[in-house]
Amino acid sequence: MTSGWVATSTIAGKEVSDARRTSLLLVMTGFMFLAGLVALVVSAIALHDEVLTYNEAKAQLIELGKSAASIPPPAFVPLKLLRGFIEYIEIIGAVLGIVLGYRAAASERGRNTLALILTRPLTQTMFICGKVLGNLALITIVLTATFALGAVGIMLIGGVGLTLDEMLRLLIIDIAAVIYITIFFVLGLLLSLSMRLLPNALLAAFAIWLALVLIAPQIGDTLDPDNQVAGGVFRTLGIAKPDERAILATFKTYETIRDGIEQASPAKHFERWSFALTGIKETYYGQSIGAVMADRWSDFVWLAGGLAALLSLLLFRRLDFTRLTKD
Amino acid sequence: MTSISASIAPVVPTSNAWLVAAAALRVAVRDRSVVWLTAMFLAMVLVSAYLGWSATHTLDGIFQKAVPVLKALGKAIPVNPASEVSPLSDLRNMTTYVSLLGALAAIVLGTQLIGADRKSGVFPLIASRPVSRTSYALGKMLALIISVVGLLAFAAVVNALTMLLLPGQALNIADWRSLIAFYGVSALCLIAFGLIGMYFATVSRSESMALLIPVTIWLAMTFILPQLTSNTNPMNALNPIKATLVPTTGSFFDITSMILGPFSLMDIYRSLSATILGFTPGGHVVRSMLSGVAIYVAVILLVAFGILRAVRHFDASRSDYND
Repeated sequence: MTSGWVATSTIAGKEVSDARRTSLLLVMTGFMFLAGLVALVVSAIALHDEVLTYNEAKAQLIELGKSAASIPPPAFVPLKLLRGFIEYIEIIGAVLGIVLGYRAAASERGRNTLALILTRPLTQTMFICGKVLGNLALITIVLTATFALGAVGIMLIGGVGLTLDEMLRLLIIDIAAVIYITIFFVLGLLLSLSMRLLPNALLAAFAIWLALVLIAPQIGDTLDPDNQVAGGVFRTLGIAKPDERAILATFKTYETIRDGIEQASPAKHFERWSFALTGIKETYYGQSIGAVMADRWSDFVWLAGGLAALLSLLLFRRLDFTRLTKD
Repeated sequence: MTSISASIAPVVPTSNAWLVAAAALRVAVRDRSVVWLTAMFLAMVLVSAYLGWSATHTLDGIFQKAVPVLKALGKAIPVNPASEVSPLSDLRNMTTYVSLLGALAAIVLGTQLIGADRKSGVFPLIASRPVSRTSYALGKMLALIISVVGLLAFAAVVNALTMLLLPGQALNIADWRSLIAFYGVSALCLIAFGLIGMYFATVSRSESMALLIPVTIWLAMTFILPQLTSNTNPMNALNPIKATLVPTTGSFFDITSMILGPFSLMDIYRSLSATILGFTPGGHVVRSMLSGVAIYVAVILLVAFGILRAVRHFDASRSDYND
């Protein structure tokens, strides 16, 4: 084992033990667990209410001597219950990443230990790699525990176990979530190691989070013509799918701009990838993992590319440690 | 006369309170983080009317293209959905930007108004001047209210100008009144969140927690409570149309909306705004204007009282944050 690896793993280990002692990680992880649990329970209750409504309608039809075949029964698709759960990871998970990145820098700057650490036989690259690896381990543990909670929740709600295929889909979404949240961790760390005032770094990271996670998808979503009318404009007008496609083709420029705004958001790529794998996006329901991955590879490229770009910036940018004190 | 006395003083803004407010405003406008968030909010104000207009214009375009298709199929031509909405509904995205950017800017401003004094170590100095704790707290709250009202007044002027410049927009007297009412409700929302930020800036021992706790409350109000009370998925809460859809019915949601509804501040804000701007789907009204405004006023008074109490009991000798 080289001395470089020893130094990097020491920093990583210290990072994990430091983070475990702070209330920041605890608050954000607890909040994400709570939000995930709320999303699952609410989805289950909504499904239960749907089943009750169906049963009542069916009983009424039978009482009137009519066939109940005209109303389709609500389908139980386990992974579809994860919709709100995934959306919380999109929103709160990104905040967790920023908080971890901020904490990783603030723990050194607050104690004015940055300059001291670098008087040891340790390069800036080893130091940064140690910070990233330690926090990557934390993110992976927190997310895997969150997804395990989700899987147990689905099994308890449905009363059936998940198949191997469903477990594998969950594992891929977990990996996608780790990449996604690490992007925000690196962003938080980069800003906290670059800006003169730490609170300003946290706020700048929050401003970027707002723009990428909430505002860009919001603009894309609200510009979607089908979202302008409750229930969908084409359904309201009684337009069939082929005609809908033909009409939308005449608004190609508008649609390209709208989609471009959504593409700018890493949250949207994580969402599209996850919704395709879980079958929440109807067009992918019933498709094999291979087929979904082949169709959604661009989302992986966007997420991995974004992370690689930010990591390169963090690793190759010379840090001015004389400026990086508490205030 | 001792100035650090925590004795109960009458809760009315004195000349000292105005002095504190003026000083706090001067510091706030120099704070870069507040300026950035405010600039982001104003940028979104500028584009919001255009986004709404563009979406409605496209909706009209789709309807015009759908008419020949429907005629060819021999179907009845429904009413143009773009003609059914009020001209002010073009500003529907403002409800999202106020509840996201505006609320976050208000939280940061509220936190900084107290936090700046705690960090710079001037709190013990202020406490040694003939300024009562009550005047100090009232001054800070006045500074927050003046900033929020100023910011929203500017946003209202920008919106009004955009509405006048966009083609095909004719606002009548009632529309202008509604625009003022919308900004009045928005001011209540931002003042409430700004005060929540100010309260945690006073009681927290750590600066990062002073910011994170109100942000967590804001996240819970924006995403978790609407899901618990009306089954609104988190990302749908960002879409002004989807967020105000008729909620899922069922005994669970009936109970949660009854118990948690009055605490779901963002849901109340979105519901009031949708009613005022006239984009409530199917005329669905979740909460009456009076009850919604009353809840906001009650929250503002409660948090303001909490701030007064926290400032009166604040230990000036240990004012700096731990981190």
